[in-house]
Amino acid sequence: MDQAARETDSKQVAGLLAEFDGPQALKAAASGVREAGYTRFEAYSPFPVHGIDAAMGRRRTLLPWLVLGGGIAGGLGALLLQWWTNAVDYPYLISGKPWFSLPANIPVVFEAIILLSALAAFGGGLALSGLPELFHPLLSCARFRRATTDGFFLGIDASDPQFDESRTAALLRSLGAGETELYDRPRTEQKVPRPLVMAVVVAACLALLPPLWIARVRATRSASPRLHLVSDMDFQPKYLPQQSSPLFGDGRAMRPPVEGTMAVDQRGDDPHLLRGEVEGQPATTFPVAVTSDRMKRGRSRYDIYCATCHGLAGDGDGITSQLAFEREEPKWVRPLSVHSQVVRDQPVGQLFQTISDGIRTMPGYSSQISVEDRWAVVLYVLALQRGRHATLEDVPTELRRHLDTALQGDARTPDTER
Amino acid sequence: MREHRIPNVDDDRLTLSGTRPAVCAVLAIAGIGMLVAGLVLGWNRGDELKGFLASYLVSFCFFLSISLGALFFVALQHLVHAGWSVTVRRLAEILAANTFCMAILFLPILGPMMAGNSSLYAWSNPAAVDADELLQWKQPYLNVPFFAGRAVVYFLIWGLMARFFLANSTRQDDSGDPGLTRRMEKFSAVALILFSLTVTFAAFDWLMSLEPDWFSTIFGLYYFAGAVVAFFATLILFALALQQVGLVTQTITTEHYHELGKLLLGFIIFWGYMAFSQYMLIWYANIPEESVWYLARQTGPWTFVSLGLLLGHLLFPFFGLLPREVKRRKLLLGAWAVWMLVVHWIDLYWLVMPTFAPEHLPFGLIDVCCILGVGSLFLAGLLWSARSRALVPVKDPRLDESLAFENF
Repeated sequence: MDQAARETDSKQVAGLLAEFDGPQALKAAASGVREAGYTRFEAYSPFPVHGIDAAMGRRRTLLPWLVLGGGIAGGLGALLLQWWTNAVDYPYLISGKPWFSLPANIPVVFEAIILLSALAAFGGGLALSGLPELFHPLLSCARFRRATTDGFFLGIDASDPQFDESRTAALLRSLGAGETELYDRPRTEQKVPRPLVMAVVVAACLALLPPLWIARVRATRSASPRLHLVSDMDFQPKYLPQQSSPLFGDGRAMRPPVEGTMAVDQRGDDPHLLRGEVEGQPATTFPVAVTSDRMKRGRSRYDIYCATCHGLAGDGDGITSQLAFEREEPKWVRPLSVHSQVVRDQPVGQLFQTISDGIRTMPGYSSQISVEDRWAVVLYVLALQRGRHATLEDVPTELRRHLDTALQGDARTPDTER
Repeated sequence: MREHRIPNVDDDRLTLSGTRPAVCAVLAIAGIGMLVAGLVLGWNRGDELKGFLASYLVSFCFFLSISLGALFFVALQHLVHAGWSVTVRRLAEILAANTFCMAILFLPILGPMMAGNSSLYAWSNPAAVDADELLQWKQPYLNVPFFAGRAVVYFLIWGLMARFFLANSTRQDDSGDPGLTRRMEKFSAVALILFSLTVTFAAFDWLMSLEPDWFSTIFGLYYFAGAVVAFFATLILFALALQQVGLVTQTITTEHYHELGKLLLGFIIFWGYMAFSQYMLIWYANIPEESVWYLARQTGPWTFVSLGLLLGHLLFPFFGLLPREVKRRKLLLGAWAVWMLVVHWIDLYWLVMPTFAPEHLPFGLIDVCCILGVGSLFLAGLLWSARSRALVPVKDPRLDESLAFENF
């Protein structure tokens, strides 16, 4: 008795499978089954049968909405990410564009929309189809294998409220079914083999080790040298300074300069010219000839290297400075005006040293501007200062009449300004 | 369950038998009248016809784009051996055949240039060339004789290709010879290569050279994208209009409209992609000689036209045409088709006009005259080509496939 009960329990009918001749018959049968009030049934065919959804009375799938949601989430997420990284977390000026500039963000937004809608379509399609499904009772029917080659089947699930073994079979036959077959729930519960489960668990635990190890290394200090994953760049076959080499008779890897070698700047050590110094003090005179041409040269260098910060007229209002104030850069210091008293009092040697070595936030320009050109810039700065504080006597007589008209409109004369 | 009924082509009225040459003549005369009215209005403005010619160019390029889109469609259908589109292909062939008509309509642009009027293209003015070194370098390409020669080549290629497709397809109506289809399919690949080259350079010549210092290599594609959008909108309206008067009511089904709606939506997105690609690169590089073109379109009232195009040519129709039901309802689809034609015209207006009127929107009576004038002549050409011809390729080997076509 017990034995028999267990027998019926384990051999439950899972559903009824019926075979049809072709797609048209399958469609008609699906339509008939739906009209008979069944809801839990599925059609199986080797290729998609157009119109089968309507015949089965399936509602339109939810998938388009999932894809739309994925697309919107992707687009907004990408926009938010770019806004936060570019405009909030790490503002970085790129070719004068605004921090948050939409056109530059569109391609990433576009790609993110595509990525997330594709993922939503893929994942949503699987989830809505109930996949992955490791086992289905139908797979135990030998006949059902033909669903992937030339068989057209309709399977009605036994859990359908209308289901009754004989009545359902009769209905299907009346709808033109060739063969009907009851299929059972599997006798033994289909389970994943235990060793496989254990292997997966062990692999998952092992997979945690590398990230944990990386996290530990990142968080702690160590005196031992780091791990050289790619050693090519770390250990190069080359000689370092002060090493020995068997290639040369004296055993030195570093070679002394060839006899008679001279430095690139062959003028030797002239502190006045090269460092603007005379007896350890800033020079008050020019080590180069003061000519009109040199001043013009200085002007061209000044306009290139200095004017962006100090302004074309030397007032400390160059475009970089203006932009920095517009953007309220916290660390920006307004460049000094070359017309300020403190600069005007400086000897030319000190101006030269400032240009060469930089001062405070201003970088040195000795690598960009040659020695002669640096002196030329000093000369031009003096010319700017003199021009700003000039008196009428400084203007050549034949040019004064041009000034009269210009000065009439302006009550200030250079003298009163001083 | 909805049963798909396969329509029968024999039940249908398929020819515009009522069209007499007189109708075409009346339309043509009305069109010429409108153009003359526009010309008089333009003459009275005393700007050496600048306003009239610019407005005429917009309308010319607008109607030309419809024919070019149709030519592209016909060649593409043959290239991919498409079955679904057979019932609407003849209408596209007729639209494409109108490139002949457009060739005549190009004369008002070419004529004044040959006569020495250089108000439309600055590079055709010797004084302007002397003053601009860039124009001197571009002189080997941008000069009136070569310009005219190229135009002749473009129209010859388009006209002959359109003629080839229409003539062979019409011949098949009698013979039903599938060899004709094979012949058109073979030629279609060559046709598309010729098409893409000629359309690119035509757009460079007629629209991009309005500002000869400026250049954008994607410009030809931009015009092409708009042309295909305009063509699908026109084809939808053409079919709807024919069905209104009781023609092809059975053969062109909801399924075909649905498909045309999908393609319209697809090319609207393609247009947006092209427009953005052009804008993005120029905006990012920020080189004065390139960005000056967008600067003119981002200042003053043109700002609103630019934004209007973004919304009206891309975002609104994108969401408007996205739902399946919209593409299957003739009234809604027709409304969107009208909308797309209007914004396509605005798009071309926006390409041409800021060159001549950077400060204000010059829309006026001249524009209306030019649209109606060129439009009437275009319609006259269309009816002339359509007359005494079946509006469906009745013996196309793929006609049955097209009639049974269904969207799932």
